[in-house]
Amino acid sequence: MSMLRRLGRPAPHRKAVAAIALAGLAVLAGCGGSSGGSGGSTDDATPKAGGELKVSFFPDNANFSCIDPFQVYWIEHRTIVRNFADSLTDQDPDTGEIVPWLASKWEISPDGLNYTFTLRDGVTFSNGNKVDAQVVADDVKGWLATVAATNGTAYGASYIQGLTGATVVDPLTVKLTLSQPNASFLQATSTTNLAITDPAEYQLLPADRCTGKGVIGSGQFVLDHYTAKVETVITKRTGYAWASKLVKNQGDAYLEKVTFTYVAEDSVRIGNLTSGAIDVSWPRNPITPQDEKLIEASGQTVEKRALPGVSYTQFANTTEGRPLSDPQVRQALYKAVDLKTYAKTVFGDDYPVVAGPFDSTTPFYSAQASKLAYDPDGAKKLLDAAGWKVGSDGFRAKDGKQLVLDYPVTQFSAGPELLQAQLKVVGINLALRTLTPAQTATYVKDGDYDLTQTYFTRADPGALQFILNPDVANSKALANRSATPAVTEQIKALFKKAIQTTDAAQTKQAYADLQALLIDQGVTFPLFERVQEAGVSKDVHGFAFTSESFLRLNDVWKS
Amino acid sequence: MTRYILGRVLQALGVLWAAFTLTFAILYLLPSDPMELQLAAAGLQADGISPQQLADLKHQYGLDQSIWGQYWTRLSGAVHGDFGMSLTQNLPVRDLIQARIGQTLLLTGCACTVSMVLGLALAYLATFVRWNPLRLFLTRLPALGASFPQFFIALMLIQFLSFKLGLFPAMGNTGWKSLVMPVATISVLTSSVLAQVLIKSFDDTLRQPYIVTARAKGLSRSAVHLKHALRNAALPAMTILGLVIGLSVTSSIIVETIYTRVGIGRLAQEAVLSQDVPVVLAVVTIAAAIFVTVNLIVDLLYPLLDPRIARNRGRVRVPAAQIEVSAA
Amino acid sequence: MSVESQLTHDPDAVLAHLDPPDTDAPVAADAPDAAASKRPPRSGRRARLHTSASQLARKPGFLIAVVWVLFVGISAFWPTLITSRDPYETHPESAMLSPSLGHLFGTDNYGRDLWTRVLYGSPLTIKATLLAILIAIVLGLTLGVVSGFLGGFVDAVLMRGVDVLLAVPGLLLALSIVTALGYGTLPVAIAVGIGIVPGFARTTRSEVLRVKTLPYVEAARAGGASWGRILLRHILPNSWGPVAVLAVLDAGVAIIAIASLSFLGFGAAPPAAEWGTLISDGRSYLITSWWLSLLPSLFVAMIVLSLNHISKTLQELTR
Repeated sequence: MSMLRRLGRPAPHRKAVAAIALAGLAVLAGCGGSSGGSGGSTDDATPKAGGELKVSFFPDNANFSCIDPFQVYWIEHRTIVRNFADSLTDQDPDTGEIVPWLASKWEISPDGLNYTFTLRDGVTFSNGNKVDAQVVADDVKGWLATVAATNGTAYGASYIQGLTGATVVDPLTVKLTLSQPNASFLQATSTTNLAITDPAEYQLLPADRCTGKGVIGSGQFVLDHYTAKVETVITKRTGYAWASKLVKNQGDAYLEKVTFTYVAEDSVRIGNLTSGAIDVSWPRNPITPQDEKLIEASGQTVEKRALPGVSYTQFANTTEGRPLSDPQVRQALYKAVDLKTYAKTVFGDDYPVVAGPFDSTTPFYSAQASKLAYDPDGAKKLLDAAGWKVGSDGFRAKDGKQLVLDYPVTQFSAGPELLQAQLKVVGINLALRTLTPAQTATYVKDGDYDLTQTYFTRADPGALQFILNPDVANSKALANRSATPAVTEQIKALFKKAIQTTDAAQTKQAYADLQALLIDQGVTFPLFERVQEAGVSKDVHGFAFTSESFLRLNDVWKS
Repeated sequence: MTRYILGRVLQALGVLWAAFTLTFAILYLLPSDPMELQLAAAGLQADGISPQQLADLKHQYGLDQSIWGQYWTRLSGAVHGDFGMSLTQNLPVRDLIQARIGQTLLLTGCACTVSMVLGLALAYLATFVRWNPLRLFLTRLPALGASFPQFFIALMLIQFLSFKLGLFPAMGNTGWKSLVMPVATISVLTSSVLAQVLIKSFDDTLRQPYIVTARAKGLSRSAVHLKHALRNAALPAMTILGLVIGLSVTSSIIVETIYTRVGIGRLAQEAVLSQDVPVVLAVVTIAAAIFVTVNLIVDLLYPLLDPRIARNRGRVRVPAAQIEVSAA
Repeated sequence: MSVESQLTHDPDAVLAHLDPPDTDAPVAADAPDAAASKRPPRSGRRARLHTSASQLARKPGFLIAVVWVLFVGISAFWPTLITSRDPYETHPESAMLSPSLGHLFGTDNYGRDLWTRVLYGSPLTIKATLLAILIAIVLGLTLGVVSGFLGGFVDAVLMRGVDVLLAVPGLLLALSIVTALGYGTLPVAIAVGIGIVPGFARTTRSEVLRVKTLPYVEAARAGGASWGRILLRHILPNSWGPVAVLAVLDAGVAIIAIASLSFLGFGAAPPAAEWGTLISDGRSYLITSWWLSLLPSLFVAMIVLSLNHISKTLQELTR
């Protein structure tokens, strides 16, 4: 059920990590890239302590600057959070297995409603406060309060579906209670969004916490400061002794300080890396093949790992009257897009080709490659059958109306012009429209699109609910427009079947059915596999990705 | 004299107020609702919450007042130096500005100084050199400097000085080295503008009869150049100081973005894009204030430098003339 | 680059504003003169034109500039005359080719011919520039003429209004306007045009003030001609020269301003691309494929420089 995929060239000292796929409630399947394993384990040299690591991200969130673990959705910031705040559990990037971290063990009641965590003793926050059962219970209370205070907008809300509260059993034992089974919940406790922080922060307003005020974790690093859109700095703390078994270095961090800057220009980020001004260049979209060559020519490496969760997927506006309300046109769209050439041209020769609604590192991933094959003639036939005839300008039209698909372009778009050229071949006019950040905020709600994209990073297929299930979706408008009510009901039923159970086989079957349904009904249009890539200086050792493809600094040191 | 100064100050304040109002008007003609921006940024659309919750949130940000109400709140706040809260960064605008304005002033200050020196030097050389081809080249050089888009110059400097030669950092605010390329980028344009004005002024001066007389009396060319041309150039140089400063502030928007510097130029660009109205208003007001203040100072100093104006002040509406000079 | 065009980058335009508003002011005589104040009277215009033309023909730099501007002008309206390629057709297999005879400017990351794309960028950029200049001339001329002609209170108010436009940083003003109107060539043209208005208003105004006091205008006034007639027959035709020179110069400024705005991502919808967008798109490949950014930049710089040179030469001739 899962494929071993080697992304890019392996770093010389790293052995390829085979992916073991296991299905189970607590053991999720995953798949590692060449460097997805527990980093540093094969680095021969002796780690050296000290030094500052300089990391450059792409620009900070323009509209919602936030560093508070529970509220933040920006994946770059979740990377930062991972290094200053620990979670109850950790997830193995290679196997998907959930392993102990702040909780040394846990028990799940047979009905799937109670999670009892036994905490490791002796853990403290960076301000010296103890991490105990009361702290976890207060955090749960804080999460629920934040969901209420932000009207459900806080991103963490999507991880705690069904969570109703927590009770302290003894100073090191805490029981979390759910109102209904949630097969994703144990995995949720390993995420950065449910990191354990000093609950004192919940006395502050959500907006204040976003600036970093009161945000205290128990991680190897301490959040020194966050200046929105400018930089975030974390510094080493001493006396750290509660790393999960997934990292080699169980003690203090090697690095003294890590500075994350936000750099708009791709060329500046890459140039800084190759000239040695920074240590890690961490873009959002994959590095272009040209830049990759450049990085490798200068002796640095490119590390890659597919981000788990929803792939870079487009969603159609199937509102009545829109061209994509016709299922035949939607099926033609699959055939008209040459995903292989797209991946090769935009991201390079060895870039994986997307094969379904989820990235290949997502547990319960099931490839739909044959349904996504390039078949322009098939597309033309379908469009002809749907009544769209080719006009003199090469574009199709029906009843005097051209087949135009309104395609908003945002900072996250990659290669839209290539997609446009591909669709032109079968007579579809993909009209690209660059949005202002302001329009970005409203176009989905206003239904001002025919095809738009979104994704969701989480090592669990349940992530897609927050796009497609109108009851919990972050944008109800997008969820409602992406499928007809009947199909939406089917999707909801399959999610329910997959999540509200303790039977792993049922979960697996339901997710497989779901992935097939999404393509058969023309709901999701995958465009490319999302791979987190990072240009890494040759002086950096022990580089590692977490299961969510975030940067993990425990083993990182500089020579 | 007091009446003159008072009049000038009042005019400056009037311009400042109008700039504030104009910006407010443009921003409130923008198509979207700042509230929806907030929610969308948090990963949700406004359709995800109930009308009551939306109303509460609007109240929290003061967006439920009428346009006039909001205008009045913002204006009276601005007068007291309080620009409210940033809509996207959860921080008082004042804090955001305080953390950045020093860097921008440093950048533009250095750029103005450098371009004054460069502009003067170039103008001096261009009018002093006698060999015609070189003279022509120097005279046309400023036009070349003004023909390349600033962002292109920045990218080229980064490419060669930073990536190829490793001389200066391509980004950041740390150390004097990080200032070199941004200052150079701005100065290419500002010194070109300045040099063009000065070359013209030098040329005019050197054609004056008294220069011919001075030469006839046996003064050397360089002495004439230094004594007369430079002294006479001081006036036009000062009149366009306001222009050069305004140009530097505008340039800082692109320059700070490309060099990833912390400053109000980049803050402004980001704020306009995310429609963070309080931040945009604050930056525009400050930029206008800098511009108006510089011009005011130039206006007040002008009579001291040019006795002709001082002599006639009683009769002529000099102030109006001067504000134009400096804004030109 | 700035959108403001106080920044005509031109000393004459800058110095023009040294003219005081009241023509009876004693400073007037001493102030550095406006470009055209030394122009000979208008009689013998035809003869002058003739000599000018022959003078110009002897300036190779000027001729090159004119030819380049004409070439770009033709490409703006009839790009098919110059290239037969499709600017939007992608050829992933021949992406990122360096400049050669087959591809003068090389190819971009989708294998499109960059030379063709630059030429097809001309219509967008040039039309935006013309529109911006038109807006600036119409608004600026109206403001300047009304202000200079009526004087007094109206003049004071209008000129303070122009000051306000100058006090707001040009690029910020343009950004706000573009954000308000949406992206695309038209909004960018409007934003840039408004940014150039102050320069035109000021130049026109000082010209009107100058012409107003010329003896024959005074004579016409004394002869009882109506204000409208004086305005149309005498003031406008005689104020036109410096304004035209400024327009040529500002076309260059507008091109750079438009490029800057499209560089920041406000330009036409892809795959159409203004010059600024092309430069901007190429900048990610600066290290590996320098031509993608550098060649369109040189193209832009050449046209700006040419306009600048033409404007300068015309000015020298009118002295």
